Amino acid sequence: MTVTATGVGRAFGGVQALRDASFAARPGEIHALAGENGAGKSTLIKVLCGAIRADTGTVVVEGRVATAFQELSLLPDLTVAENLLLAAPPRGRLGLVRRSRLADEAALILSRYGASGVDPRSPARDLAVSQKQVVELVRVLALEPDVVFLDEPTAALAEREVDWLAGHMRRLRDAGACVIFTSHRWREIERLADRVTVFRGGTNVATRDRLSEEEAITLMTGRTLGATYPDVSEIVPGESALTVTGLTSGRLREVSFELRRGEILGVGGLAGQGQRDLFLTLFGAGKPAAGRLSVTRATGGTAEPVADGRPSARAGLLPDWPVRLRQPRDAIKAGIAYVPEDRKAEGLLLHLSIRDNIALATLARRSRAGFIRHRAEKAAVSGIAGKLAIGAGRSTAQAAGTLSGGNQQKAVMARWLLTDADVFLLYDVTRGVDAATKHDIYHLIADLARDGKAILFYSSETEEIAGLCHRVLVLREGRIAAELPGPVGDAETIVAASIREPADA
Amino acid sequence: MNRRAAYAVAVAAVVLILGAVLSPGFASWPGLRAVLIVASFTGFVAAGQMLVVLVGGIDLSIPWVLNAAAIVLTTTGLGLADRLPLALALAVGAGLLAGLVNGLGVAWLGVPAVVMTLGMNGVLQGLTLGVSQGLTCGDCGHYAPQPLRDLFAGTVPAALLVWLGAALFVTVLLTLTTFGRRVYATGANPRAAYLSGVGVKGVTVALYTLSGGFAALAGIMLVGYGGQASLGLGDPYLFESIAAVVVGGVSILGGRGTYVGVIAGSLTLVAVTTVLRAQQVPEYGRLMIYGLVILAILFAYGRERAHD
Repeated sequence: MTVTATGVGRAFGGVQALRDASFAARPGEIHALAGENGAGKSTLIKVLCGAIRADTGTVVVEGRVATAFQELSLLPDLTVAENLLLAAPPRGRLGLVRRSRLADEAALILSRYGASGVDPRSPARDLAVSQKQVVELVRVLALEPDVVFLDEPTAALAEREVDWLAGHMRRLRDAGACVIFTSHRWREIERLADRVTVFRGGTNVATRDRLSEEEAITLMTGRTLGATYPDVSEIVPGESALTVTGLTSGRLREVSFELRRGEILGVGGLAGQGQRDLFLTLFGAGKPAAGRLSVTRATGGTAEPVADGRPSARAGLLPDWPVRLRQPRDAIKAGIAYVPEDRKAEGLLLHLSIRDNIALATLARRSRAGFIRHRAEKAAVSGIAGKLAIGAGRSTAQAAGTLSGGNQQKAVMARWLLTDADVFLLYDVTRGVDAATKHDIYHLIADLARDGKAILFYSSETEEIAGLCHRVLVLREGRIAAELPGPVGDAETIVAASIREPADA
Repeated sequence: MNRRAAYAVAVAAVVLILGAVLSPGFASWPGLRAVLIVASFTGFVAAGQMLVVLVGGIDLSIPWVLNAAAIVLTTTGLGLADRLPLALALAVGAGLLAGLVNGLGVAWLGVPAVVMTLGMNGVLQGLTLGVSQGLTCGDCGHYAPQPLRDLFAGTVPAALLVWLGAALFVTVLLTLTTFGRRVYATGANPRAAYLSGVGVKGVTVALYTLSGGFAALAGIMLVGYGGQASLGLGDPYLFESIAAVVVGGVSILGGRGTYVGVIAGSLTLVAVTTVLRAQQVPEYGRLMIYGLVILAILFAYGRERAHD
């Protein structure tokens, strides 16, 4: 009953999720994995439990293994009972499933593990998220495993359910099992774990019996904040560009803030606290339940003239224009741009040409009666591609998929620079991008701010938010939990504000 | 023109040359003219099919949209030249309407394209059979108006010019307009297109509508060619339209393909049938060889794509 990983490496696409990572857990211990988003914890668990294969290194896991993944694995259309007994349903003669006994057996299991509050006949999709998590955990516990992997098991649980789970984890440990879990809540790690291994950038940086929160944060974030980031302190934010009031959408709860011209406003917090909902909703791709958004447009000057020399409708000050965003098209018209995190899924059209990709958001501007003005398009695209040094002199007629990851991201940026938007929503734009391109992107962002653009910036690397932003909003459970005046400088402050439990909770 | 369309043209050329070698008369203008005319019907339906395939969809309602439009044409035109404009408008309108409903179902209601268009096909079949009471119009005496039949007369029949016009329309639409660019963007990555301000739903509806229109156009041309509408007229064109699109190098996953390739695909299919028939291969053999030829061409494309 041992768990050992030595020198494990694993890449997804171009991104090295694990590099030379080592880990060992003993029987009869609760071992926590700590680290920021993308540090490699989930990947390590997937490698250890055999869900994915490592590229390099050796993995030895002995005993009966059970895993609760971060992404819930319940089948939504089956009932709780069917989900619980999926692997070994009660069978009658001829090996057919005895449906009459399914619910009874499931009820027995649920009550044995202290979760009798869940109706075994209810379809999984009708359960609340916390109940789904409970069923998932019962499924894992019922296997009475020797080795248990729990990836973020408490993220969806309420306090009482966390106590319930803690009891089971201790019971398994005392029975000699090896319990490995991850959590973003430091209090839980402190309370439950016998040992902690900290991950950063895909590798293990420390394994300790005792670790203070401060030490952990330092280990998790590293302290390498050199001259990587442009100095934004001399860029002085001007008047308001975008005002959000009481926005409730997806996970977001009554979020209000103001974003000013020339300001880089960071959005921090742990993963999945509503950051994505915020960005998508501001871009018209969310489903807001309540809230108000107003945009103040830039004065004159920078708008691109339309074909026949008439001034663009975008020139001139349009104060406090309340915006109704039904779809991204409306947001683009209102002068908002969104650069997504996952350029392959949400940004690029890989087998279309670089030019088609860059021109996509501004097609109508270079057209006459619906016909594309190809010469104007070529000029605009080569201009911006040259400025950002995309593809090193390669023809823009080549497929976007032939570009390297960094250049692909620059091509997506170029598309939005052409829109001449006032507000840029940058959602994890440096993810999976090489160091040199990251550097270029940081300076590009600072240049945008210098030009008076308003920038909302989220990154899964908290360090970037600390290094680049004038001000940081920390989201927790959909609400603004803290507003940190900037420049913040160090990631620890943001991480601390993200995981510190509110005093009144 | 992309590489796959170039392959499609090359394949068509090989098949046509093979035909010329194997059967005398094939290479003559009358022989070629016959092939072109038959290929034009496939070309019309395949134009619509290609448009929806470009956004990753499919139109299975082509057979009975075509058939319904043909019946509408003959029953409203009554074989009279002066009623032809009205009849044409009604037939094309019926096709566009069926396509519009398909598009709304797929884009707004989120019905899978296969289900939506298959359902439409069934509804139109029932409607057509019900309204015509199962009688083909040969029996009820409604023939194609003369001007429509004249499209197929002469050394260079006007029907071929109609095809040329359709080809220009589709090619210009796809390559020179912002709409065309949005079509390819939607097909390549609908999410990214949507997040770049493309009205993905509107584009989808427009394409299904056009597909309905092209199916109706094929129905109209078939009435002119055969002199009358019959029930089951559109049946062969579901397979033909999909085969022409795929042999023409259009990616079934969407985002890639040109009408030049689809023209080549249509010619290839018709030429293969014609050559086999001229060689007096029996029906069962023809069907088998036809299927094998399509598989062979697709196999070659598949290998080619692996090297992309």
